[in-house]
Amino acid sequence: MLLAIDTSAGTSAAVLDGEKLLSYSFFEDPFGHAENIGMAISQVLNEAGVSAAQITSVAIGRGPAPYTGLRVGMAAGLGFATARNIAAFGVITLDALALANPDGKILVTFDAKRKELFARTYLDSVATSDPWVMNPVELENFDDHRRITQSCNAELVGRFAVYAAANGLDLSDVSALYLRSPDVSPSAPKKVSG
Amino acid sequence: MKIQQIGPENLERVMLLETALFPTDSWSEKSMGSELAASDGYYIGAFDSELVGYAGLKTIPGSFLSDIQTIGVSVESQGKGIGRALMLDLLARAKALGSEAVMLEVRADNPTAIGLYMSLGFEQIDVRKRYYQPDGVDALIMRLEIKQPIVLGIESTCDETGVGIVRGNRLLANALHSSMDEHSKYGGVVPEVAARAHLEAIQPTLDKALKEAGIDLSEVDAIAVANGPGLAGALMVGIGAAKGLALAHDKPLYAVNHLVGHVGADVLERGSVELPTIALLVSGGHTSLLLVRDLLSDVVLLGETIDDAAGEAFDKTARLLGLPYPGGPEIDMLAKAGDPKAVRFPRGLTLPKDMEKHRYDFSFSGLKTAVARHVEKAEANGEVINKADIAASFREAVVDVLLTKAINACQEFGLMRLLLGGGVVANQRLREVATKRCAEQGIELRIPRFDLCTDNGAMIAALGAQLVMAGKSPSGLGFGAESTLDIRQIQTP
Repeated sequence: MLLAIDTSAGTSAAVLDGEKLLSYSFFEDPFGHAENIGMAISQVLNEAGVSAAQITSVAIGRGPAPYTGLRVGMAAGLGFATARNIAAFGVITLDALALANPDGKILVTFDAKRKELFARTYLDSVATSDPWVMNPVELENFDDHRRITQSCNAELVGRFAVYAAANGLDLSDVSALYLRSPDVSPSAPKKVSG
Repeated sequence: MKIQQIGPENLERVMLLETALFPTDSWSEKSMGSELAASDGYYIGAFDSELVGYAGLKTIPGSFLSDIQTIGVSVESQGKGIGRALMLDLLARAKALGSEAVMLEVRADNPTAIGLYMSLGFEQIDVRKRYYQPDGVDALIMRLEIKQPIVLGIESTCDETGVGIVRGNRLLANALHSSMDEHSKYGGVVPEVAARAHLEAIQPTLDKALKEAGIDLSEVDAIAVANGPGLAGALMVGIGAAKGLALAHDKPLYAVNHLVGHVGADVLERGSVELPTIALLVSGGHTSLLLVRDLLSDVVLLGETIDDAAGEAFDKTARLLGLPYPGGPEIDMLAKAGDPKAVRFPRGLTLPKDMEKHRYDFSFSGLKTAVARHVEKAEANGEVINKADIAASFREAVVDVLLTKAINACQEFGLMRLLLGGGVVANQRLREVATKRCAEQGIELRIPRFDLCTDNGAMIAALGAQLVMAGKSPSGLGFGAESTLDIRQIQTP
């Protein structure tokens, strides 16, 4: 029994039994991750009629996505997995979207703010590039790709984890997928007198 | 019938009952009087228009043990359950104080009392032969174990990822991961860097704390997490992890105030926080002067910094002098060789006009600017600056203003007790001057050990445990990060 958590867009959780989705929750508020994460998890456990002890692994969306919110779901998933001493799987949210849109060449993009996009290309759901931060002017280079712009959620993250397990993919990296360095540069002391 | 706390003012009536009940071995009026006034004692009376029963408990702070000192109910009022009610009140108090066991002695020839204690869970552990004289009656020594709650606390308000575990007032583990080194190249805490570090550190720090405490998460009775004040992105990591942990084992969750946690850290040091007290919390993020009458219900913010925190002023001044981050230890080291009176730097918000409006507030921005001007002027004049003198003079100005205001607060509120907390408490000069000035003024100074002064998970666990022990309801699942959480919000519902 898999608990999936994703806070790359809204706050969502899901319980899957193999391929079967038992329950799903989604809170849209893009700034309410910390507030909603507990209810999202609690709801899916209740709806699926399973106890925390019946969960055998946790899948978490590791982005790329706005990191403040993303980290809330990741921390909750890691906390849950540590507490139950069960495996945690890290799912790149772009990969989860590619799996949901399997046919042919696709370009999955997700708003990276500051007029940029997080992007990755796939052929029949198999990645053909590393994820990167794209300037939208590059989009014209991908005319031959079908573009996917939807946001991710816990169901898709969960489905990818199930698919990965069946196909022997390694999801042991549970760190956030940062594609930018923290927004700072070391500062020099400023003069105070003229 | 009403039970309430009694004191020396009830001595006469208590002695009347005492001498009637225990004709051969009653306490003297003198010893009963000092018991009723003792600070480590808790005496209660049962009132039925007048005092008809009394009982006392003694708890030496830090001993984790309470003793039932005495209990008596007037002959006319016996058999009405008053003795039991008094005992239950004392036991609740012992539990709230963090005691892990309660001891008592009882006359072997008093089956009613023995029966009462056994029904409350006491077990006989020893006999003292012919203890009660002149009657020559044995004393049975009885003991009740109190199971104090095990609470795991998570701290992630700034650059320290802390996971602490306590059982009642006892520290079991205090695991910490600091991202301070990662901030050093930026000269200060960078929120995004801190938040990233929290997520990376949370799982290892949790594992470390559980290992240190030698327990499994299933044994934890409650989870506590600091939900503010602090950096929002950093707080959210701790909150996410805490909710995940709580749901994984269906444990109650308590969202607690980080600053009040600093005050509560003292329970781990001494087994209790002596209240009321003035508390001065000084760190890189906070400079707050508090009046604490009750840790769980009555904390008042007397004043705080209106610009930079004291620790921030140390960091910025260090940078100005070409010293690395964090600035506090660097300035402390350099200042040892300097003259604190070399430069008279300003003491922020101490002029009469400022004191009217900002009696207990602090300001360090002007001080930092004054240091910068001093350095620039010297350089423009081609003078060689004496960095040690500047460091010592700057440090003196910070320490002076912090302690002057804190000690003023003690005197003005008539509370001769000062508790220090926060990372800046590591400053050698602050400790020295605090010790000296408090001694001069007859103020009791309390400084928890350093790893309980800086941000840590144990203090969050300790405050959570206080809430559990006091029977407070857990927080709901819906609380969020409150970067400017009000000090009066000790627990977020």
